[in-house]
Amino acid sequence: MNELHAQFITEARELVEQASDDLIALERDGASVERIDRIFRAFHTLKGSAGVVELPPMSLTLHAAEDLLSGIHAGRLDPTSTIVDGALACLDQVSRWVDDFEIRGALPSQAGEDARAMAEQLRDLISEEHAAERGKPEAGTGSASVAEGRLAEWVSHLVASAGARISRPEKIPVNLLAVSYEPRSGCFYDGDDPLQLMRQVPDLLVFRIEARDGWPPLASLDPYACNLRLRCLSAADRAALSSIFRLVPDQVRIIDVPSSALPAEPANRRDADMGALVRTVVEEQRRMLRVGSGVGEGIGRIRAAARVTANAFRHDRRQDLAERIEVAGASAASRGDVSDLLLLLDEILDQPPTARIADGEVARLGEPAGSTAEGSERFARRPLRVDESKIDALINLAGELIVAKNGLAHLVKRLEAEIGGRDLARAIRRDHDVIERLAGEMRAAILQLRMVPVAQVFRSFPRLVRDMSRQLSKEAAFVTRGETTECDKTVVDLLFEPLLHLVRNALDHGIEDPEQRRSLGKPEMATISIQAARAGDRLIVEVIDDGRGINPDTVRRKARERGLLGDQELAALADEQAVELIFAAGFSTAAEVSDISGRGVGMDVVRTTVGRIGGRVSLTSRVGVGTTVRLDLPTTIAMSRIMVVEAGGQAFGIHMDAVTETVRLTPDRISRIKTNEGFVLHDHVVPICSLAELMNLPRKPASDLTARLVVVAETGGKLAGFEVDAIRDRLEVVLKPMQGLLSNARGYAGTTLLGDGSVLLVLDLKEILP
Amino acid sequence: VSVSRRSDGTIVLDGRCPVEDAEVLLELLQATPAASLDWTQCIHLHTAVLQVVLAARPPLAGQCGDAWVRQWLEL
Repeated sequence: MNELHAQFITEARELVEQASDDLIALERDGASVERIDRIFRAFHTLKGSAGVVELPPMSLTLHAAEDLLSGIHAGRLDPTSTIVDGALACLDQVSRWVDDFEIRGALPSQAGEDARAMAEQLRDLISEEHAAERGKPEAGTGSASVAEGRLAEWVSHLVASAGARISRPEKIPVNLLAVSYEPRSGCFYDGDDPLQLMRQVPDLLVFRIEARDGWPPLASLDPYACNLRLRCLSAADRAALSSIFRLVPDQVRIIDVPSSALPAEPANRRDADMGALVRTVVEEQRRMLRVGSGVGEGIGRIRAAARVTANAFRHDRRQDLAERIEVAGASAASRGDVSDLLLLLDEILDQPPTARIADGEVARLGEPAGSTAEGSERFARRPLRVDESKIDALINLAGELIVAKNGLAHLVKRLEAEIGGRDLARAIRRDHDVIERLAGEMRAAILQLRMVPVAQVFRSFPRLVRDMSRQLSKEAAFVTRGETTECDKTVVDLLFEPLLHLVRNALDHGIEDPEQRRSLGKPEMATISIQAARAGDRLIVEVIDDGRGINPDTVRRKARERGLLGDQELAALADEQAVELIFAAGFSTAAEVSDISGRGVGMDVVRTTVGRIGGRVSLTSRVGVGTTVRLDLPTTIAMSRIMVVEAGGQAFGIHMDAVTETVRLTPDRISRIKTNEGFVLHDHVVPICSLAELMNLPRKPASDLTARLVVVAETGGKLAGFEVDAIRDRLEVVLKPMQGLLSNARGYAGTTLLGDGSVLLVLDLKEILP
Repeated sequence: VSVSRRSDGTIVLDGRCPVEDAEVLLELLQATPAASLDWTQCIHLHTAVLQVVLAARPPLAGQCGDAWVRQWLEL
């Protein structure tokens, strides 16, 4: 959630609250110019900010409300309680959307359609109030009847033409939806194919297509101006339909058809859709197949039975069933084994699809029961929203409990050493183990509260990829995998920026133009995928493209031009290492600066951002085949692993993530370059700094004979050796940021309490290096 | 283009009929408003092409080859 969004949420809530209060006061105390002004302004500001954060459904709804209020503002309408109700309902809707937006960063998929329905209700209010003022009799109906759903004429027509295919069940209510889709006149120019959307409607019962404004004479017909109205009736659920029409919410109305509107079920006709004749025919074929179901016999008979069955279904307008039978029949005939075909027949005959509708179920054939289970789950597992800071407080407490528990271990050691009470020590140790286990479990359970699925970040990318690829005239399909992988909220929140850079780069630099791809024999449509997976306690996120890959020689040349590395160093780099130079600060391989990326920032931002939370970035690329960038991230950042070292008589903590190895150096391995010391490690020269000196502490007098202890750590992409006096411990600790007077002290990443009660300063190596 | 005219004057839709076919089909129908249309070999009809058919209502030779249109369109 960026700052703009956070600000919008806070502001929107305040405005909704203020407008609600004013509306209620308006109704209670009557209208004053000032009050109406204030309400109008609140709606207006809300509409404006909804536009800024790009929530079209919210703008649409508020726009309609604004029209209504401007009527009051201008004195054309009286603020009756019906109108106040309407405006309040609109605010309720807005506030639900703000909640959704805060939680998921987006509006729910049916928002567009809800917006349209709400806008329509508000507009109805305007016309009804007008009518009321003119004293027309039909005005008395008020908005309630609109909300209750007076069945529109077109819906009744659809229901009537569906005829016997739908019928009212006796007890359980059925949910049928009527869709009216009026594509914009210019929709063909946008590449829309309205029929294609209709083709996707599941459980279609009736379809109608007609001219919206009548047909002109053929001579003056514009073939590219859409003048159609498409309507249908479906037994699918609303979510499925909303998702199909999600890109054209302003052109579609989806209306519930109450079961009372359906024709009553004719007596003794349960399987309304499958004609009795068809059923008899199909049952006969099944019987025949069962009788001779020995393997390897009667291929001709199997074929004939399948053909007859398929034709029967086709006769019944069940093209889908006919096709399934044909496929199963062909495979049965080729194997001489009818068992699969029989299973399919059983499935169809014993659970006819519209008998299911009559039974009040809307599950589709062959679909797992998941979609309906989802609905009931919504009631069973309502998420509890808790302020992040409350969870953080729990984490801190759990952390302190662990520290206190570590203190207990220290006590046991002293008990054994100083008093010698073996039995007592053992008993305390046993209790300590129990507390340790419980404290650990408790911490894990609390950390679990902060776990969110990475889908939260992934969700915004399909849209971004679509927009960016359009802007760049490239074609790219976008795939995400592992969206349900969970990890700490901080990590998930932090992922957006790096992923954005990576996806942008892949589209801009990785993916070739469609013509180029065609000439290379690649599919024109490129694929960019983001996938997440857990590997132990790490979260691995990969951004993969099938573009041109990164040429190591180009990277070397660029690095030389930008003076990032010398010729010799570059030549020494293996190709795999060379391509990773694109993460270096100030590197950009873009031939020209484009709108999308290539401003010389980006990839280094990825490395820095990911590095800040203890993550690593690596890259593999094959020229002509594509590039994979891999982010290796911690799944929680509440606990850090540190190494406790001693230098100048003091203990310091160093992040284990930074430490690559520890070495004991005999004097002959250390070379001196002027005042600096260094040594060779895996063909690299690593400088040595004394940690005591860096911290302005007295350095232990170096003897020329003894080996020196050096901790090699990576800081800012470079290796450095820190000479220490001793390595004491490796710990998992809760790191607390520096607070109070020390919060500005440079060189420290934070503090932690040790088991003996002393405070350990954990170093920020990057800052202490000269 | 998947729209053509047979030697007997019948206009034929063949295979996938994309949006561009709408204009071609309309021109053919404007030239010979009484010609019949054979769409049995069309496997996928774009909305714009169907719109021309609906507006012109030519005599149809056979059922539409696009299975979805055949099943759901009531002419």
